[in-house]
Amino acid sequence: MAENQPLAPASEGALDMDQVEYTLRKRLPRKLPKRKNDIYVNMKTDFKAQLARCQKMLDSGCFSEICIHGLGLAINRAINIALQLQGGSFGALQIAANTSTVELVDDLELDEGEPLTRTRNNSAIHIKVFHTLPK
Amino acid sequence: MENYQKTKITELPCPHPIANLPKDIIEMKVKEGSKIRNLMGYAIGKMESASTTEILFTGTGKAVSKAITCVEIMKRRLKGLHQITKLFYKQVEELWEPIVSEAGLDSLTVKRNLPAICILLSKDTLHANEPGYQAPGSFDALWIHSLKEEALTQRKKRRGGDGLGKGGKHPGSGRGERPKKSRS
Repeated sequence: MAENQPLAPASEGALDMDQVEYTLRKRLPRKLPKRKNDIYVNMKTDFKAQLARCQKMLDSGCFSEICIHGLGLAINRAINIALQLQGGSFGALQIAANTSTVELVDDLELDEGEPLTRTRNNSAIHIKVFHTLPK
Repeated sequence: MENYQKTKITELPCPHPIANLPKDIIEMKVKEGSKIRNLMGYAIGKMESASTTEILFTGTGKAVSKAITCVEIMKRRLKGLHQITKLFYKQVEELWEPIVSEAGLDSLTVKRNLPAICILLSKDTLHANEPGYQAPGSFDALWIHSLKEEALTQRKKRRGGDGLGKGGKHPGSGRGERPKKSRS
């Protein structure tokens, strides 16, 4: 896991920062319930692979809609995937986006074992891609 | 590309994806280098006064997640805001010019499609049928309905198989998960 540089004291008496290295461990975000048509986008997997997976799910015809989720830096990628799917469908697909906040918890551990937890908030996007109902 | 540097970026004008906006609506253009503190200070000040009812946040490229963060902070401070989110591509033209003007290097114009987002926050109720609409305080509206339907069908299946199968729920195991736990 990533290790922080030793924190330097800010100023005498202002903040009591320890000159110790913390091991930063990010807890996995609480995963929303995953139906078959939920796709979570990340920055590690190849973009083309994620795009092809979404396209296959839509083409297979089992689902009338798919939901693409992205957290933090993956928001841009999720938007890109959704817009590319829409662009390649010649107007047959529609997009609806919702945003939310996800709480992330970091565990900071010292060698002696005094675990500290820090929570931070991150933005998430949920994009629903569905076939427009023919009128 | 090491010989070139970006000199000019022009955004090609495109109509707002959200139609029927009043001309005097406050548009917060979130850029990559915008400081959230400054943006929120201005935006919240305007919304807290009763005069403004709607505010628009737009961002392109790297600023998209910053725009979403601003909107989320706003919704946390002011409850009861309705939201419409729109995604679109923004056309941008970049002008790259050679750093050292060598003969044979021309200026390049690069056309790019950047993902962009446009979020409207309003104190009044907005069209609920509009794709991208989010009621105040909800973020799971997109899937909660189908989730509940699935839960109902699952329960019906379980009740139907009670006489034959194991019967009763397995505590701690979700749908489709193996109940085996690894030794910790």
